[in-house]
Amino acid sequence: MSRGFRFRTPSSLLLLTAALALGSCDKLEFSPNDYRAPAEERALTEKNLGRLQQMPLPVGQDTLRFIFTGDSQRFYDEVDDLVASANQQPGISFFVVAGDISDFGFAKEMRWINEKLRQLKVPYVTVIGNHDSVGNGREAYKEIFGPLNYSFIYGDTKFIMVDTNGREYNFDGQVPNMPWLNRELSNLGGARRQVVISHVPPQDADFDPALQAPYAQALRETKSLVFQMNGHRHSSSITQPYKDGVWYVNADAFSERQYMVVSVWGDKQFRVKQIKF
Amino acid sequence: MKRRFFTFCALAATALSVPAAALASEPTLPASPAAAEPKSWYRPRHLVLQTGGGLGMVAVGAGYTYLNDKVETDILLGYVPKKFAGSTLTLASAKLLYSPFTVRLSDQWQVKPVSVGAYLSYTHGTLNDEERGQYTKDYYWFSSDTRYGPLAGGRVTYVRPTKGNGRPRTVSLYYDLSSNDLYLHSYLTNTKGLSISQILVLGLGVKVDF
Repeated sequence: MSRGFRFRTPSSLLLLTAALALGSCDKLEFSPNDYRAPAEERALTEKNLGRLQQMPLPVGQDTLRFIFTGDSQRFYDEVDDLVASANQQPGISFFVVAGDISDFGFAKEMRWINEKLRQLKVPYVTVIGNHDSVGNGREAYKEIFGPLNYSFIYGDTKFIMVDTNGREYNFDGQVPNMPWLNRELSNLGGARRQVVISHVPPQDADFDPALQAPYAQALRETKSLVFQMNGHRHSSSITQPYKDGVWYVNADAFSERQYMVVSVWGDKQFRVKQIKF
Repeated sequence: MKRRFFTFCALAATALSVPAAALASEPTLPASPAAAEPKSWYRPRHLVLQTGGGLGMVAVGAGYTYLNDKVETDILLGYVPKKFAGSTLTLASAKLLYSPFTVRLSDQWQVKPVSVGAYLSYTHGTLNDEERGQYTKDYYWFSSDTRYGPLAGGRVTYVRPTKGNGRPRTVSLYYDLSSNDLYLHSYLTNTKGLSISQILVLGLGVKVDF
């Protein structure tokens, strides 16, 4: 056996291994909690809101239309059909997932969903769900999407996205962050109306019981509020659980193969159309 | 959470006891200079340094080989810094590998083209990690800390000249592709929406006999 052969074979194997390693840096995962991701898959909220601001509603158009969906949570088989259907809807400005993007709180799951949702013609925004809060999920969510509480204004409407996953904080009385929410609710920032979106609805057992009443009260006292929107229950409904004039809109999960096309106009007029896919 | 940890410990202990049992049944020590320095059954046969594979940014450990070097068990302690996972993680892992073939390319170089096996890992240091009374029973059906899954890979081995005591002194570079229970569960419930390659995790390492 020649010396050349002896060394060439292992060297080529080493090169192969090195190529495999370099080509699969993303696969070299330190832990399922490892949230490293390429720049284009990080800070997605900021990126999507940036895109949204690039496409303002035509001047004079009062009606804002967006798609509202619930939990994507390990329902990957359904996403392609959902995206195809959503892309057929006319006049849509953006797309909302009301939390539980992931099932286990892993960045990888959030990236799997993003890989599909980025095929939407419109930008999408999310709010954190309880499953996104498991283990190191909150940190993964912050890395992949962004802040847990944030707001934006589009089409004369202020959208307030708030973490209401109280059980994930062992009901520490801090979530939802009422001082932050009250500040946001009291400042329309030039918008005409506002919408609050969170994952766990206030009448749910996973909402901090000590904050249910203050939360409902804050919404009741916000005259410009169109409605409050949630996911979590995997079942759609439009109700007034507190019989106080405040509408609560709950979305289906992706698994129910149904989403909502929501139109808002005027001071606080709205219409919801259920679309099956 | 406690119960899961005990399960993990029990499984790790079982994995460790296998090589012990295998070695204990060896009737004689080799009639080489090694006889002068008998191998104790508990002495690890190799040291391991690994990155990735879901077992740490860096993981170090030791392991045993038995059944004619075809089976080995490695115990690893891994580390992931806070900036890559949100908190500093320490992972205790056990790997069981079966490598049926060894291709001898030359006196110095060998290849084990196929290794298959499984791993089990326990992560310490996760953040929202179920405080007492936080959830009702089975609120989440999965553990945030205990992971297990299949793995497959291969290795290239360089055989260094044998020392006086007759012990093999080899250095191996290996890779393995693995997946964990939750990634697999995600794939198996979504074979249309996810691909196998999305759930694969790469691990690279060095193994040194000593």
